[in-house]
Amino acid sequence: MKINVKQMIAHIFLGVLTIVLLFPIIFAIANSFKTLEEATNHIWRFIPLNPTIKNYIHVFETLPFGRITWNTFLIAFTVTIFKSLTSIIAAYAFVFFDFKGKRLLYFTLISTMFIPFTVTMIPNYITVSALGLNDSIWGVALPQLADALGIFLLRQSMRTIPKSFIEVAKIEKVGHLRILSDILVPLVKPAIISTGIIFFINSWNEYVWPVLILKSKENYTLSLALQMFISAEGGTDFTVAMAVSVITMIVPLVLYLIFQRYIINTFALSGIKG
Amino acid sequence: MKKIKEDLFALLFILPSLTAFCFFMFWPLIRTVYLSFFDWNMIKPVKKFVGLQNYITLLQDDVTYKVLGNTILYILILLVVNFVLPYIVSFLLSFVIRKGKSFYKTAFFLPSVISLVVGSILYVWILNPVTGPVAMILRFFDMQLPIWSKSEGLVIWILSLITSWKVFGYNFIIVLGGVMGVSQEVIEAAKLDHIPNYKIFMQIVLPMSSSTGVYVLITTIVQGLQYVFTPIKVVTQGGPNYASSNLIYQSYHEAFTLYKTGEASAFSVMTMALFILLLVLEFKFVEKGVYYEN
Repeated sequence: MKINVKQMIAHIFLGVLTIVLLFPIIFAIANSFKTLEEATNHIWRFIPLNPTIKNYIHVFETLPFGRITWNTFLIAFTVTIFKSLTSIIAAYAFVFFDFKGKRLLYFTLISTMFIPFTVTMIPNYITVSALGLNDSIWGVALPQLADALGIFLLRQSMRTIPKSFIEVAKIEKVGHLRILSDILVPLVKPAIISTGIIFFINSWNEYVWPVLILKSKENYTLSLALQMFISAEGGTDFTVAMAVSVITMIVPLVLYLIFQRYIINTFALSGIKG
Repeated sequence: MKKIKEDLFALLFILPSLTAFCFFMFWPLIRTVYLSFFDWNMIKPVKKFVGLQNYITLLQDDVTYKVLGNTILYILILLVVNFVLPYIVSFLLSFVIRKGKSFYKTAFFLPSVISLVVGSILYVWILNPVTGPVAMILRFFDMQLPIWSKSEGLVIWILSLITSWKVFGYNFIIVLGGVMGVSQEVIEAAKLDHIPNYKIFMQIVLPMSSSTGVYVLITTIVQGLQYVFTPIKVVTQGGPNYASSNLIYQSYHEAFTLYKTGEASAFSVMTMALFILLLVLEFKFVEKGVYYEN
């Protein structure tokens, strides 16, 4: 009986935490389908009495939202492909090759995770402007073609594969690219998928760098469009702001819910150093 | 001969990442240090060399110390919510409850995949002092929600909580991974000796998963301060009167609002120096007692 009480208290604590964490999401979805009047008078109502999609229509009428969503997707897609490719081959080299200075090089690359973005933002801004990519989505993607976290996570996963696999392939004179595509990639597929999803979601949500580069509305990404609906006082377009929030978060949420097992497992491994 | 060929392959595989890092990480880093010795506004054709003047100006400015103080408060709050709390929750999940583990894992990680701009906008409405749902509950109890975005001190708490909404789940999953990674045999042996669960957690699980702990501790400080940037930028812009600014926001503010490129560079160099100091301290004092598996 004593154990049950303990468990109950634990569940109450965890339940409250769950509500605190999930409330904003439910709040946004519920209010995005209300009329402004209903939202103002019945903010606590979670299922709208007169559901409406007017807020969503309004968003697409006032802003080039199709274009904005496409920009966000295009940047995230490009960044994900490049980061995945560069991370996979780099991780492969760090795990299955021995060369002079390997540890130092690896440590140098990984330590960039701890460099604050403010240290690189001014020179990168100057570089991107000099290349004529200011106010272009390619200017947003360009500095993000490689990723230290990706190399780290994929290396963690590739380390679990016995080196003998690769040695046998080498004796059989199979080329490295073949080893990589035919043996290694299938074996670490879950890690590749989850790092890919993480790259995509992070780029989709990115704010700091795009806000410096993108100026005109038709080049905006979702995060930038969203900030137009924000001020410390709130503003008046409450239900519209909720609709924009829902549009922005729906893609990462769906991706997460589909691939959650992969993602959680990959992150659970990331803290265990080696 | 074969060895050289192998080395060449390795280099070829690392080269794409290395090139990207050189152009957009290492070279900018050197350039920022260089720019910190100049008076410039990113537009003027000539940069004027001023030596250490930018650093001196910053060190004599009261705002710098205010921002540093804010940064420390941000770090402390972020550590309690995103370092201590994940351990408590991990303990409950691995030692106390039996059912619902995967539900909690899924639910807690959910906000981590959502943009902090979304988080900021939602909390601005939820915590609106007049019309927000929280203000309504408080009014029911005859209490009032202060105008937090204009209150020194309080504003840092709220912005830290908005940031934690996103960071908590991510840190929790990593901490739980470390806690679950501890050998079950050791724990079972301790249980047979009737050692209470919380003691097993404190004296066995924590020390044995300390490499994870150190990792989470550092990322909470280093990444946390950068994550806070977003709510600061979209909600308060560092105000009122620099009360919510931190080191990261301040360098951004100097660079892209005031266009003081030199001072902004000096500021970010000092921020990085502080981060490096934290890393060194960590290696010197914490790492010694850390237990690594394999």
